[in-house]
Amino acid sequence: MYIYRLVFLLVLAIYIFSPNILDWWTSPENAWYSPYVIWGGLIAIGFWLEWRRDPNEF
Amino acid sequence: MSFSATGLLTASLLYLIVLFGIAWGTERGTILRRWVRHPVIYTLSLGVYAGIWAVYGAIGMAADSGYGFLAYYLGISGAFLLAPVLLNPILRIGRAYQLTSLADLFAYRYRSQWAGTLVTLCSAAAILALLSMQIQAVSVSASLLAPDASPKVISVMFSLTVVLFTMLFGARRHQSSGNHQGLVLAIAFDSLVKVAALLVLGGVILFNVFGGTNGLEEWLTETSHPEATMAMAINDGSWRALLLMSFAAALVLPHMYHMTFSENPSPRALAKASWGLPLYLLLIGLPVPLIVWGGQALLVDAPPAFFSIGVAQALDSPALTLLMYIAGLSAASGLMIVSTLALSGMVLNHVVLPLKTPRDQGDIYRWLQWVKRLLIAVILFLALLFHETIGRHLDLAILGAISLSGTLQLLPGALGVIYWPEGNRRGLIAGLVTGLLIWLVTMVLPFSVAADILSWMKLPITPGYDNWHLFTFISLTANISVFALFSIISPASPEETSAAQACSMGALSRPQRRELLAASSNEFVQQLAEPLGIRVARREVERALSQLKLPNVEFRPYQLRRLRDQVEINLSGLLGPAVARDIVKRHLGFKPLTHGGTGQDIRYVERALGDYQNQLTGLAGELDNLRRHYRQTLQNLPIPACSVGEDGEILMWNHAMESLTNISAEEVVGAKLLALPEHWHALLDDFNRGDELHRYKHRLDLRGKPHWLNLHKAALSGPDHPEGGSIILVEDQTETRLLEDELMHSERLASVGRLAAGVAHEIGNPVTGISSLAQNLKLETDDPSILETADQIQQQTRRISTILQSLMNFARTGNHAHANRYEPVVLHRCVNESINLLSLSDKGLGIRFVNECPPDLQVLGDEQRLVQVFINLLANARDASPDGGTILVSGKADGYSAIIEVVDEGSGIPADQLDHIFEPFYTTKAPNQGTGLGLSLVYSIIEEHYGNIQVESPSGPESSRGTCVRLRLPAYEPEAETGNSRPNERS
Repeated sequence: MYIYRLVFLLVLAIYIFSPNILDWWTSPENAWYSPYVIWGGLIAIGFWLEWRRDPNEF
Repeated sequence: MSFSATGLLTASLLYLIVLFGIAWGTERGTILRRWVRHPVIYTLSLGVYAGIWAVYGAIGMAADSGYGFLAYYLGISGAFLLAPVLLNPILRIGRAYQLTSLADLFAYRYRSQWAGTLVTLCSAAAILALLSMQIQAVSVSASLLAPDASPKVISVMFSLTVVLFTMLFGARRHQSSGNHQGLVLAIAFDSLVKVAALLVLGGVILFNVFGGTNGLEEWLTETSHPEATMAMAINDGSWRALLLMSFAAALVLPHMYHMTFSENPSPRALAKASWGLPLYLLLIGLPVPLIVWGGQALLVDAPPAFFSIGVAQALDSPALTLLMYIAGLSAASGLMIVSTLALSGMVLNHVVLPLKTPRDQGDIYRWLQWVKRLLIAVILFLALLFHETIGRHLDLAILGAISLSGTLQLLPGALGVIYWPEGNRRGLIAGLVTGLLIWLVTMVLPFSVAADILSWMKLPITPGYDNWHLFTFISLTANISVFALFSIISPASPEETSAAQACSMGALSRPQRRELLAASSNEFVQQLAEPLGIRVARREVERALSQLKLPNVEFRPYQLRRLRDQVEINLSGLLGPAVARDIVKRHLGFKPLTHGGTGQDIRYVERALGDYQNQLTGLAGELDNLRRHYRQTLQNLPIPACSVGEDGEILMWNHAMESLTNISAEEVVGAKLLALPEHWHALLDDFNRGDELHRYKHRLDLRGKPHWLNLHKAALSGPDHPEGGSIILVEDQTETRLLEDELMHSERLASVGRLAAGVAHEIGNPVTGISSLAQNLKLETDDPSILETADQIQQQTRRISTILQSLMNFARTGNHAHANRYEPVVLHRCVNESINLLSLSDKGLGIRFVNECPPDLQVLGDEQRLVQVFINLLANARDASPDGGTILVSGKADGYSAIIEVVDEGSGIPADQLDHIFEPFYTTKAPNQGTGLGLSLVYSIIEEHYGNIQVESPSGPESSRGTCVRLRLPAYEPEAETGNSRPNERS
């Protein structure tokens, strides 16, 4: 269960700071599509994690 | 630009007919069926989440609050990226226990029908708002395109089509897979249409309105005020609320639960969707800013939420306009179909069935199908009613907020299922009621009927469009606090604890090993016939039997418990977990407990651990390896062992036990000792019940042969194992017993030998006297008759002396103490001497002896005794040989052995006598011809010389007569050169 507590803490931290994160993503200096690029990056990480995952893992 | 009402209606109908066609084609098993299980189809079908938010809502919100609209997509993307720890556990539980909705999950986990019903009512209330939102979007978009069309007619027509579609393709499940395959493909098609239409519109705006990316950049630089460039600061509160609701939506929205878990083709598909759905939502969210800017650049006068249609109209493109309308229609219809279907299942299982169990129904499946269809119609009618009375007066955004904040109340309970085994039904229900009450007072009533209780109570804060998120958090916080508090202070029932463990992450259910009232699967059918009818009962039991790969009739208690669980799981898929549990509990009951408690179902736990094999890591993995090691040790123990529970159920049956009893573990583990064949049952059951801990040399006749078994028993109970039971070891002592018998026999023979030697010695003296007296008698008379008598006396005394000599020789054997006096003996000489001695006798004069022993073949031994061996063997051969026969003695060296063969051409020895010829006093000769000690003596002497003897009769494979006696003695090899000492020998 230890790993799940860590995940929970991480999710909570991201949630609390999410408005600031989004402000950073959408700051006027960035291109209009930069939030989508960062979002796409997260999806790529998700894809990579899923791809290298042991099929027997949870 | 506008369309005629008829044209719009025709276009809508045409699109819906295409949807019908896809679903129908899939159900009919055309080529479409092959795609259904593909992860891409599954991921696209999850796109139902976006609903009309994708086409209208998001654009409206983007125009109002900039990038804040992304919260609706990012929340659920986060939930899917966390699928391994958030969605997979739910999928596992749902598949294992056939839980088709969140209400099922709650009713199963919290062991409460009320929990299921409460979830259903909460979802129903929230879904009505969501459905109203879809109807409103479709009717508004239609009235924008065809101002002369009546919004009411459009709403009703649209709802009717959705009802029809859901009834046709949603109410029945595919028999083998349990999925609605046609529906899944149709929803995936809906999602594809949505994303394609939005991307096309985005592309058209980018290139036709702004003239490419450079044009867009220029326009954005020129238009610097934040409302136009979507650069407004994000409202933290509403952003967080929307993000949380969107995150929770993956679990708690009925249509999302249905598509994610109930229609899931495989865990692999969910793994793919964990990044596939975020990617889909990214694609759907990408054109949103473009559409907003397009609307602003083209000065579209439609409400911002409907910019997608407004922009297309402003571009004067009927095709694009119609495409956007169809995209909205498809988004709305997809969401309505799935959420109505999901909700109807929940209402059926948690509102209708608890009130009316379908007893005495001819066909329960048909009955369920029709009730479900009726419910679909009722739900959509209520949604329409809600829309016409309340929903159409409300903003799309606030409808969404009401709906999502209502379902958000289910999040604590849903997370508790996986992560908080201590949470119980009292806590859940109390928390839910609290949260829902606050939601009703602060969100539903003020916005829908303007009944603002907070302002009546003169509270400083009242709900409004700008602070609704506060009430979302307040209701959720109150819900969580009450849930936690009640769960901690109130006890959970053992049944609930067991369900909590079955659901919680990484935990195994540890069912109790109790005995069922039903003794066989046939009795299951009889007992279930009462609530379900004989036909359904038989079908369900047979289905469960075949799923578990059990024989048609099952008796073993362990397998019956598995069967009971499987029947419950299957009925749960049919009637919901609460009703299924109720039926199974009432009709497939356990026998009352006779004493304190029963043991855990070790085998069940073991099987479950076996399934987890590759999933255990770290300490758990190491412990599992240890478990496997000890289990293997027990299984491979060379002593037959079995363990038996306190109720006489066999828990373990190792390999040695399998080979001793010829009963495989698969057959008996989980069965009672009673199920064993009669003789084993009588032995083990009697020993298990008895007080004795050891039983020695119990005779048991197996396969027609007697076996002697030692049994040992040890109780399993101890400080770490309070459940009782015992382990029984069964030692097979048959071989030892036979050896003992043989030893006793030999002892007896040795005593007889010693007695005979004593007697022979005592008789020898008087016989010598008689022989001397007979000799004297011959000297003292010339009477021929007296002389003959004296001769006969001497002849008979010689015979007595021969017999006595044989007896003395026999008794003297078996003494290996002579070995140190052995000397090298040339076998050729031995054989020659024996032949010479035999030739002195007047018997067998016509027999020819041939000595072919090599002169250099030597053994270490006692020459006189070896001569005795050959005399006996040759005399036997001579007696058996016909007149004129030849007896051949040959020899050869074979490695370290010398092999000597004595072959005759006699009558041979019958096979049944071969086993006995070395036994003392065994003879086939006439009474006066032999004592039966000759070969026995040979055997003893050869043994003394560390050799062995074999007899073959007939003598060779080609002849049918004759006997070959083969002696094998250790060969003596003289030193090559006596003068050379070995290096390590002292000089």
